[in-house]
Amino acid sequence: MGSNDRPKTLDRREVLKGLSTLPALGLFGYAWQKQRAYQQARVAEATATAQAPADLQVINIALIGAGAQGQVLTDAMLRIPGLRFRAVCDIWTEYNQKRMVNSLKRFKHEPNAYEDYREMLDKEKELDAVVIATPDFWHAQHAIDCLKAGTHVYCEKEMSNTLEGARKMVAAQRETGKLLQIGHQRRSNPRYLHCYDKILKQAQMLGRIVTVYGQWNRGVTPDLGAPDRYVIPQERLTQYGFKDMHQFRNWRWYKGKGGGPIVDLGSHQIDIYSWYLGANPSHVMASGGNLYYDPKTHEWYDTVMAVYDYDTALGPAKAYYTTQTTNGSQGYFENFMGDQGTLLISESEVNYAGQLYRDPNAPAWDEWIQKGYVSAPKEQEAKAKSESGAIADVRESVAPDQHTVPVTLRDPYHQPHLQNFFDAVRGKATLNCPAEEAFQTAVAVLKVNDAIEAKMPLAFKPEDFKV
Amino acid sequence: MNGGGAEGVYVGQPGDLRGVRRFSHEAMATVYEVYAVHDDRQYAAQAAHASFDLVDRLERELSRFLPNSDVTRINHLAAGERTRVARSTLECLAIARDMFDLTGGAFDVSIGTGLASLDLDPDDSTVHATASGVQIDLGGIGKGYAVDLMADTLEEWDVPLSLAHGGFSSLLALDPPADRDGWPLTLSDPGDPSRVLAQMSVRQTALGASGVRKRDHIVDPRTGAPVRGRRAAWVALNRPPAAPADVAESRPRMAAVADALTTACMLMHVDDIDALCRNGDGVEAWILEETGLLHFGERTESRHGQ
Repeated sequence: MGSNDRPKTLDRREVLKGLSTLPALGLFGYAWQKQRAYQQARVAEATATAQAPADLQVINIALIGAGAQGQVLTDAMLRIPGLRFRAVCDIWTEYNQKRMVNSLKRFKHEPNAYEDYREMLDKEKELDAVVIATPDFWHAQHAIDCLKAGTHVYCEKEMSNTLEGARKMVAAQRETGKLLQIGHQRRSNPRYLHCYDKILKQAQMLGRIVTVYGQWNRGVTPDLGAPDRYVIPQERLTQYGFKDMHQFRNWRWYKGKGGGPIVDLGSHQIDIYSWYLGANPSHVMASGGNLYYDPKTHEWYDTVMAVYDYDTALGPAKAYYTTQTTNGSQGYFENFMGDQGTLLISESEVNYAGQLYRDPNAPAWDEWIQKGYVSAPKEQEAKAKSESGAIADVRESVAPDQHTVPVTLRDPYHQPHLQNFFDAVRGKATLNCPAEEAFQTAVAVLKVNDAIEAKMPLAFKPEDFKV
Repeated sequence: MNGGGAEGVYVGQPGDLRGVRRFSHEAMATVYEVYAVHDDRQYAAQAAHASFDLVDRLERELSRFLPNSDVTRINHLAAGERTRVARSTLECLAIARDMFDLTGGAFDVSIGTGLASLDLDPDDSTVHATASGVQIDLGGIGKGYAVDLMADTLEEWDVPLSLAHGGFSSLLALDPPADRDGWPLTLSDPGDPSRVLAQMSVRQTALGASGVRKRDHIVDPRTGAPVRGRRAAWVALNRPPAAPADVAESRPRMAAVADALTTACMLMHVDDIDALCRNGDGVEAWILEETGLLHFGERTESRHGQ
């Protein structure tokens, strides 16, 4: 509607027409009736998969682990055409499982609900793929049993809380020939892919990367709890490896269950360090501790600072990573610093979504700007016109170049990585983070906790990263 | 944006209440809070943070500043395109559309760009654009909607003696502390917050506030012109009891409705506001004009007193 079409004044007849629906119902009645009508899904031909092209192979999937991360993945999967949820498995039947099943039913899926994943694998014979978002210490067993049952698997990171578990996952993948994608979702993020392919590899705009810095800072939060009325009976908690409800909700902090913030958060970014540097680390030294939280309920370190050594193809590099959980200032990002430029990047579409700084002595980036690899600088350099023969045009001072990465993600953060997985299931893509690749990240990340305990630098051998 | 919420911190905060725990969280460019009475501080904190998690999720879906939010995707739809959105986004849009109808367009999340060109398909949770160029901003309803969801969470956690608000401009009072008949609130002059215009004590009530500070303005979506002469508006609505689960998934989102109506009340003719309050059972409104405070409607259930 153009501005000329707008009514010039508030049309009172329209207001009164709206209000005329009220007397019989009252405002509650009105709001209630309207919202009920909305909530009662109308009969329609459209279904969740109807949007998919007719020739798209429908993939039958199950979700194991319907907690916060399972919800995030499901929200993304609901936007991917051609998926059919057949089953949901979660031991918190009273809450997570029920909510997920109800939520999926509203999208016309009819998933069966299970508490025990073994029963699910026994009964659901048509599954093509299983998405696993359970606590880390369950990953290996869940993934291996699903692979052996003949399904492809998308498993959240960290692929396992132990290297032994991670190694067995790689072995099971090889043995079964099924796909195993690990949830380092930045590997499929279009901005990260663009920076890797175009800025680092093709244009080599940073020159030689010598240092890397990254962080994920989070503010203080209370431990996760559960509504009193939905607490899981102790017998079931014990059966699935949890000593109590607190441990079930806060497993990330417990030794033998998760790996603490360095694994929960750092793993995503240290994965990018190795990917972008094109090497695995040779050494790691780290300091960390439980500085803030009750060590009885927070066995892992709430604060970690780690330094990796890398031998890259271009020479040695050092990469620093810090995570702390008592102040969220500046959030999370990775900063790659080369002798010709800097790339500041994060998964966030809002903060540090891809900024580039060119060293003033570096070769000009004009070609890459023209090719659209990076944006034009905010202020154009004051160049003298070439035909004038002058070497400079003298004018007010010009700020140093600042460029941005011209790639924006419009979808939920996890959608591209899941899409890559399902494309691979259909034989139309190769995995962006297959098990062997994620195993190397697990080796690099899990060693940080060892290095904190050892209070000395620890060396990696090249064979550590191989299965 | 046409209004509201962001500027309107005019619902006075509860005074010094013994035994009331207070939890705060930054989101949507303001501070969300839960006031709760509960024996177990840790449990109450966990319940509050569970409700804050919902607000964070809603922000990711509803913010027009995030390139990958539902709202941004909707704002990029060309004619004939559709996008799947979270159910909460669709519900919020559905309420916004109802409030557009109810107020004759005085509340318009599309600010005159054509809300009617967005078809909402609740069955498939998709938004379908029949025209290009529709730009929506849920700033005038999103905070209220978030507060509605927070209240649901507090009830799910059995923390009924509680109050939730977003930036004090969208507020939902559940049951009051045991020794009180309601949560004590004030409405004050946005130009002079020390000047209290009204005092009340509310329970099971949604309150919304909208207003302008000096040099700010609210744009009338119908004319594109700034509104003059009216400085603030408040709307209070009774919150009905929960419906049986088989009737509706949830209660009507009265904080979202109040949020939307306060924005509309900045624009609507006083006779229409009067009609809204007379026709709508349990609706009360206050308008601060240059000439003084006007009050409309009565609500018996919330036992407010001035």
